[in-house]
Amino acid sequence: MQLDTLLRVAKWEMTKNAGGVDKRTIVVMALSLVAMGAVAAIAVSGGAGAGMDDGIYRIGVDESSPYYGVAADDSTFDIREPDPAAIERRQQELLYRGTQLQSVPRTAKERAALTELRDSTAQYNDRTLARDDNQTAAFPVSVTLVYEQQSGSSQLDPRSGDGSDGSGPSAGGSDASDGSGSSTGGSGDGSDTGGTGGSAASGGGDGGTAGGSGANLGAIGARLTGDVQGGTPSDISPPFPFESLVLAFLYIVPMNFVIQAYGSSMLSERLNRRGELLLVTPVSRGDIIGGKTLPYLAGAVGVAALITAALRFGNIAPAGSYVAVLAVVPLVVLFLSATFCGAMFARSFKELTFVTVTITVTLTSYAFVPAIFTDVTPIALISPLTLVVLDLTGQSVGLSSFVFSTVPPLLTGLVLFGLGAGLYREEDMFTQRPIPLKVLDALAGGINSRRSALKMSIVLLPLVIVAELAAIAFLFVLDSVSLNVFGTNQSLGIVLVLGVIVVIEELAKSLHVYAGYEHARYERTLRSALGVGALSGLGFFIGEKGLLIARLSDLESLPIGEAALQGATLPAGLPLWVAGLLFMLPLALHTVTAAISSVGASRGRRAYVAALTVAIVIHFAYNFTVVSTLV
Amino acid sequence: MIDARDIRKEYGGFVAVQGSSFSVDRGEVFGIIGPNGAGKTTTLKMLAGLLEPTSGSAEIAGLDTETAEMRQQLGFLPEESPLYEEMTPISYLKFFADLYDVDPDVAEERMHDTLDKLELEHRDRKLGDMSKGMKRKVAIARSLINDPDVLIYDEPASGLDPLTTNYVIEFTEQLAKEGKTIVFSAHNLFHVESICDRVVIMNEGEIVARGDLEELQAEYGHTRYHVYTTVDVPDAVQENGSYKRVVESMDAVEETRERAEANGGDVVDIRTEESSLEEVFLNVAEAGTRGTRYVEEDTE
Amino acid sequence: MRSLSREKTIVLALLIQLFVAGFSSFLVVGLTSLYDPSSVAAGEVEMAVTGDAREELEAAAAEQDGTSVTAFENEAAAQRAFDQRRVDAILRGEYVPSTRGPGEQIAVTAVVPEGSIRSTLIVVEVRRVLNALERQERLERTPYLDQPPVPLPDTVSASQYFGFTYTILIPLLLFLPPFISGSVAVDTVTEELERGTMELLRVAPVSLLDIIDGKALGMVLLAPAQALMWLALLSTNGIAVSNPAAILLFITAVTVVVVTLGVVLGITLQNRRPAQLLFSVLTLVLFGGAVILPEHPATTVAKLAVDSPTLLTYGHVGGAVLLAVAGYAAARLYIGRVAAESL
Repeated sequence: MQLDTLLRVAKWEMTKNAGGVDKRTIVVMALSLVAMGAVAAIAVSGGAGAGMDDGIYRIGVDESSPYYGVAADDSTFDIREPDPAAIERRQQELLYRGTQLQSVPRTAKERAALTELRDSTAQYNDRTLARDDNQTAAFPVSVTLVYEQQSGSSQLDPRSGDGSDGSGPSAGGSDASDGSGSSTGGSGDGSDTGGTGGSAASGGGDGGTAGGSGANLGAIGARLTGDVQGGTPSDISPPFPFESLVLAFLYIVPMNFVIQAYGSSMLSERLNRRGELLLVTPVSRGDIIGGKTLPYLAGAVGVAALITAALRFGNIAPAGSYVAVLAVVPLVVLFLSATFCGAMFARSFKELTFVTVTITVTLTSYAFVPAIFTDVTPIALISPLTLVVLDLTGQSVGLSSFVFSTVPPLLTGLVLFGLGAGLYREEDMFTQRPIPLKVLDALAGGINSRRSALKMSIVLLPLVIVAELAAIAFLFVLDSVSLNVFGTNQSLGIVLVLGVIVVIEELAKSLHVYAGYEHARYERTLRSALGVGALSGLGFFIGEKGLLIARLSDLESLPIGEAALQGATLPAGLPLWVAGLLFMLPLALHTVTAAISSVGASRGRRAYVAALTVAIVIHFAYNFTVVSTLV
Repeated sequence: MIDARDIRKEYGGFVAVQGSSFSVDRGEVFGIIGPNGAGKTTTLKMLAGLLEPTSGSAEIAGLDTETAEMRQQLGFLPEESPLYEEMTPISYLKFFADLYDVDPDVAEERMHDTLDKLELEHRDRKLGDMSKGMKRKVAIARSLINDPDVLIYDEPASGLDPLTTNYVIEFTEQLAKEGKTIVFSAHNLFHVESICDRVVIMNEGEIVARGDLEELQAEYGHTRYHVYTTVDVPDAVQENGSYKRVVESMDAVEETRERAEANGGDVVDIRTEESSLEEVFLNVAEAGTRGTRYVEEDTE
Repeated sequence: MRSLSREKTIVLALLIQLFVAGFSSFLVVGLTSLYDPSSVAAGEVEMAVTGDAREELEAAAAEQDGTSVTAFENEAAAQRAFDQRRVDAILRGEYVPSTRGPGEQIAVTAVVPEGSIRSTLIVVEVRRVLNALERQERLERTPYLDQPPVPLPDTVSASQYFGFTYTILIPLLLFLPPFISGSVAVDTVTEELERGTMELLRVAPVSLLDIIDGKALGMVLLAPAQALMWLALLSTNGIAVSNPAAILLFITAVTVVVVTLGVVLGITLQNRRPAQLLFSVLTLVLFGGAVILPEHPATTVAKLAVDSPTLLTYGHVGGAVLLAVAGYAAARLYIGRVAAESL
């Protein structure tokens, strides 16, 4: 790779695109962006005030009832004349006379309506009582919330030292971020690729209720510390960095636009063999790909820097710094690399659209979901977005956290670029094959000899790590759901994590072997199959052992993390021979299961699927036993 | 200048090109001829370094085809030249000049010079709005932007109207005179005869014949003699007041003369007709189906 | 062959939507359970109560299902229990002179563990207990208030996700197909233009308008079919969706509008990248800008689905149909003119 040629390609990628978008488009685009801003502004000012849940419950109540005021203040309710017949006809959900509920809530809707009314009433009381002359009687309880370490705790979060007092945006800051919260919620609603709409919409919904329950909730509640006086019970809010999350979402949204443009550009190189001519120039493949990617990479990172600067100098998140921008880089790389692979696999723009949507949804969840738990558990560090949240809320980010959080996605991005680049050649670029076959092509691209099986298992490891970590984060919630499986008292979350991890690992070990057989890179003999499988297993084992980096995260302190990483770390205090056995056992396991699926792979697709299933079952049984006996 | 040694290309189980060897001298115009699917394009792409041979190797000017140095000396024109529709000819050529690291001033002069020779107007119009012939001219100009020594042209005249085809062929001829080494492929033999020094004929991934035009002629062509007589002889047809008999050997000509004289007539004219490359090609293709025959050729 | 590829498109579209729906549900369920321990059978939260108001605290905690309390007379003992993790939180309630005026109030210091996974659950549970305490205390002090607080309605067991299902999930599921249809419409139009196959089609004895009509129709039909499938899927999961006919009509109208937008952008810009980008931005603006309507389209769908439609709701359905018809007619005029110019 040569920097100057790479830059030359990058320069032309930019000017070519500037030529592709004519002035009219730019004008329309600018107008739409202005319109978007206007919409956001309306949403923030509450001018339109139309909530998503407006008028879904109908309550029969007249002005004499105290609930009239409650329902009138909550747009979720549609106030009707009290009419018992309407209840019968299911045209009203609740019927109040005075303070008495006259109807019996039977249907799910009626029950939900009553629950909603209960919440509204509590909020209504807080609001009316705030105007009461006797504030002591109105708010007879004051609360001081103190976060304290339970001594003997091993779950030291790297940032916990300054956790209780070192954070919390200023009151002004969080008010402002409340505002931007609802604005991004609003714009996310119809979001670009549909995928992000889901999370944004739900986020927006939450924003609404949070805003309704008290204007300064964020300010006092988020970190009510010892020296804050006069908080009421309703002011308490769980350690949940809602504002920062919404802000973090801001960083993800532009990426989806960037990858759309990037994917288009990459795929149009493949349409009509356009890219062929670049391949005959002295510019190397790496330079072409790098050069075509660089503008988008720089653009996305630039936008992240702009957002950070705007948040910082707009006093919304004054703590935002270069750390947030740096943390976004691996995410950008991941988004772009996945899109690059997608553009190399897709046969048409239509397929690319689907691929892009999938990438958007998958990676947004990967980045976003763990970040929800930023202040709750170290698992959150799986996503680099957590670093952004930490940075925006002014918490310091340790080097080890930074490395743990950013290296796996960065490596995954590079692996994906590598896989895609394997297809960036005359033979594969212009052929129209279904996506699954293209995936196999990409994998087979790196296979030359039997030893390649070892290499491929190691190369794919970052992908495995990221997928597994994401699975842990996703199933984290379920961890609290206890489920007694086979009397072993493992939680459902752990069982699921084991299952998912086993599937990911076995696939990673065997898919490239299958690709190798399909491309006739290996001999279809039993001996060769066993050899290739064993090498693949060995490669995986070596890679896994080299990844004790996972320790940095304190993941082992959680039962679920321990389950996931078992085999990678050793319980202390075991006799040496047990430790040795435990060390060698995973090697045997990986080799055996990989050999099984390799034998299957050598005999065609059906046999491969069957053998893979067997391998997964064996692996799962092994892991489950180890976790049950040792954990 | 170009040296292909037993280059072979397989896609999956399909053999696109069976081990082919040939060499092209500096300044030579070399044609690869064959029907569609004969493996011409694959062969050219292997020469251009776009495809990696499954086995065998190719060198251009002593450089392996995979190297950047080789590509720097190469001008490649694919069969269909997809261009970046949103660019203008000028910006497109500047883009490639930049990729070949050509000095901007030199590139500017060179591109206008070439476009002048190609008589291309509307140099600031978008490529997407241009006719096929105009696009082809831009593509040809692109293949020359780095002033390459070797040109590899895949079907340079395909899909163009006769006028432009002529134009392109003449231009190619001109390039050859300027000392460029040119390898090109064609399934249309119409113009090959006029500009090729040597050709190979490919069929089903294999080189089935090779040589310069005379050699091929001698091997696969037939020389026919049209013997015109004043009287009827067996197998003759009446033509313009005389009788014409077509024979394939001098002995037969002699025999015809004897017969005519025996009938009291005489031979008034003998014309020789050499078979065209087209016929040679057809013959070879026929031979190919009967079993391959090779014309031995000593390389260099 | 064509129908086969069409089917594949549908399958892909459905998979993606399933994924999106799963993701958003997951997110919401995750968030809800984070806030509401009772939704997850996580075991009870153990609290130590101490201080001179501990009896009041005990009484308040007794109302809560997810909480059990132990009273400690000795603060140090409570602290020990906390450190040894026998309790999850300490509530220390003291009567102190009010900072808000005359009289006394209960000052509660709540100690909760830091950096634990359960912190959130514990804090939520603490808030519940203290809210109950507040209600209790207010009730006792009602005579001093200008106006008595409105009594809270009884608790009933209700689905946590009812509101979410109807106001977010169903609109999301139903608006995704139109969006995807529009996006694919942009793709098909620009792809034909970029590959140059449109020119080939033009040679065939059909007009550009016919081609566009055909393409648009295919895309438009795809969306309500998917919407119908979602509704069927939801009802098999026990989520009753009312007014399916009105919903489908509304979704079809919305799809026509969105697909028309996609086709017009495709024809005008002829290039996928800007067309797709502009399509995304414009749909976003349209969807967001719909808040200026008396009722947001998402709310229209929600109200139809939950069976609380008003006249306004039906008005929106009618309006959407009108907009769809008028929009498509205008687009046809425009495309006809473009075709006439380019031929």
